[in-house]
Amino acid sequence: MKKIKRILTSKIFVTLIWIVALIVVWELFAFHVEQTKRTPENIQPHLSGIVDSLTSSRKINGSQTALQMVMENAKATLSRAGIGYIIGIAAGSVLALFMSLSGVIEKLAFPYLMLIQLIPILGMAPIINAITGDIAKSRIIIAAILTFYPVAANTLAGFKSVQKEKHELMYSYAANKFQLYTKTMIPACIPYFFTGLKISAPMAITASILVDTLQGGIGLGCLLSQSLKGAMTRYVFWDIVFFSAVIGILSFYLMGVLETILCPYKRIGKKE
Amino acid sequence: MPKKINVKTAAGSVIYPTLFGAAVIISWQTGFLHKLLKTDEYVLPYPTKILHIMHENSDKIMLNVQASVKVALLGLLLGSLIGYFIAIIATVFPKYGSGGLTIVSAFNAIPIVALAPVFINWTKDVSEEAEVRSMVAKVLVVTVTSMAAMSVNAYRGLTELPPFSDDLMKTYAAGKVTEFFKLRLPNSLPYIFTALRVSVPGSVIGALVSEYFAEYIIGVGRQIRENILIAQYATAWAYIITACIIGIAMYIVLMIVETIALRKRK
Repeated sequence: MKKIKRILTSKIFVTLIWIVALIVVWELFAFHVEQTKRTPENIQPHLSGIVDSLTSSRKINGSQTALQMVMENAKATLSRAGIGYIIGIAAGSVLALFMSLSGVIEKLAFPYLMLIQLIPILGMAPIINAITGDIAKSRIIIAAILTFYPVAANTLAGFKSVQKEKHELMYSYAANKFQLYTKTMIPACIPYFFTGLKISAPMAITASILVDTLQGGIGLGCLLSQSLKGAMTRYVFWDIVFFSAVIGILSFYLMGVLETILCPYKRIGKKE
Repeated sequence: MPKKINVKTAAGSVIYPTLFGAAVIISWQTGFLHKLLKTDEYVLPYPTKILHIMHENSDKIMLNVQASVKVALLGLLLGSLIGYFIAIIATVFPKYGSGGLTIVSAFNAIPIVALAPVFINWTKDVSEEAEVRSMVAKVLVVTVTSMAAMSVNAYRGLTELPPFSDDLMKTYAAGKVTEFFKLRLPNSLPYIFTALRVSVPGSVIGALVSEYFAEYIIGVGRQIRENILIAQYATAWAYIITACIIGIAMYIVLMIVETIALRKRK
């Protein structure tokens, strides 16, 4: 009895119940739509229909099945998002380092760092596309800008979080700047750095898909708008919606897993 | 005790950024920025030209600003209320509620671009008029995006109580309801503002992006896109600057409200 109770209240079980509840609600709605609409797949198809469209071997554009098509475009979109993400991480953490090293740079950059957060960068996607003239480049740039702010802000907060006592200890060790950073500052900011990574991973993917929709070519966003315009079956649209949702969530958890692998403090914390 | 402000550092934190900003604008106006970005003044018009266009089209811009701000604010309000409500439920029923919180925060990771077309599909029957149903769809997108930040932060505010305050409530023999209104609710106030700091800029972005997909053509975000499509870059820039001003203005308003609401706690 006790065991059953423990299973019933475990976190995984609770989350499972919620997912099942969401699926039930979705299906109820889908049944309703099916009865009242002529083209239910345009509004809300059954989940089974979406899964079918992914597993069926019917070619939808002459040469590829839905799954192959989504995967091919996803590869293009995700690789661009990934490149932008890495550039954004590098630029963001380097800026945070410089800001913590030099008061002048911090004062210079901090207000603009705040501004970047407030400016709707995604709204600027079309103009960046126009400036670079190359859709592939602008996807990478926007993904990088969106990644940049959370990483820089969080890493800087990490540098700031080092207690005064630690600074005093390093001072009494006569540690130089380099030692101070490698021994105390950088290890202290790693958890904050990963918070920044977790926030920006889904954003980089969103950015990449959104910029896709602006122009034709290859990419999930292009496929999404083609499907919405009726160039191919609507199920491709639903496949992409679910695929990007899953990828967005996975990218968030992937960063958490990465943190656990790379950072010993996480593993020690878990064992206790 | 009021903190002594070092005049020299305070002046520095104003002067340096101002100089930097001025340098960027001057290099923009003189065409140096164009060389740097390898672009021409057609795609990247001079600031004076953008300001001129903003002034000329101020009526039309205001119309679009109203539409976008309405979407952002309505969605923000709805999302925050629902988010707070979820947090309350999670506090009252901790076991199943916190599982729900996990799901809600997972929603946050869903790209807005995927949400927007789905909501537009769902709201096809809401109204006969394209303007109204597009509005509903856009508000719903912003609602979902601002819900997660609020529910997660409010939950922390409702459950992470100051030490011994719980015991104090017990010695008063306070019931659950009294405890909720006298302790948990006031305790969550600063956390609400933490959430809003994330969701206010987020709501503007959500509004602009959902406009891209909406049926009815209105809003600052949509105007950026429409003007680029017809190669009216200067007008598009005018809307971009407008979008930035909206984002910054809403954040400043939030800061003012926060200072007023939390002034007794400082």
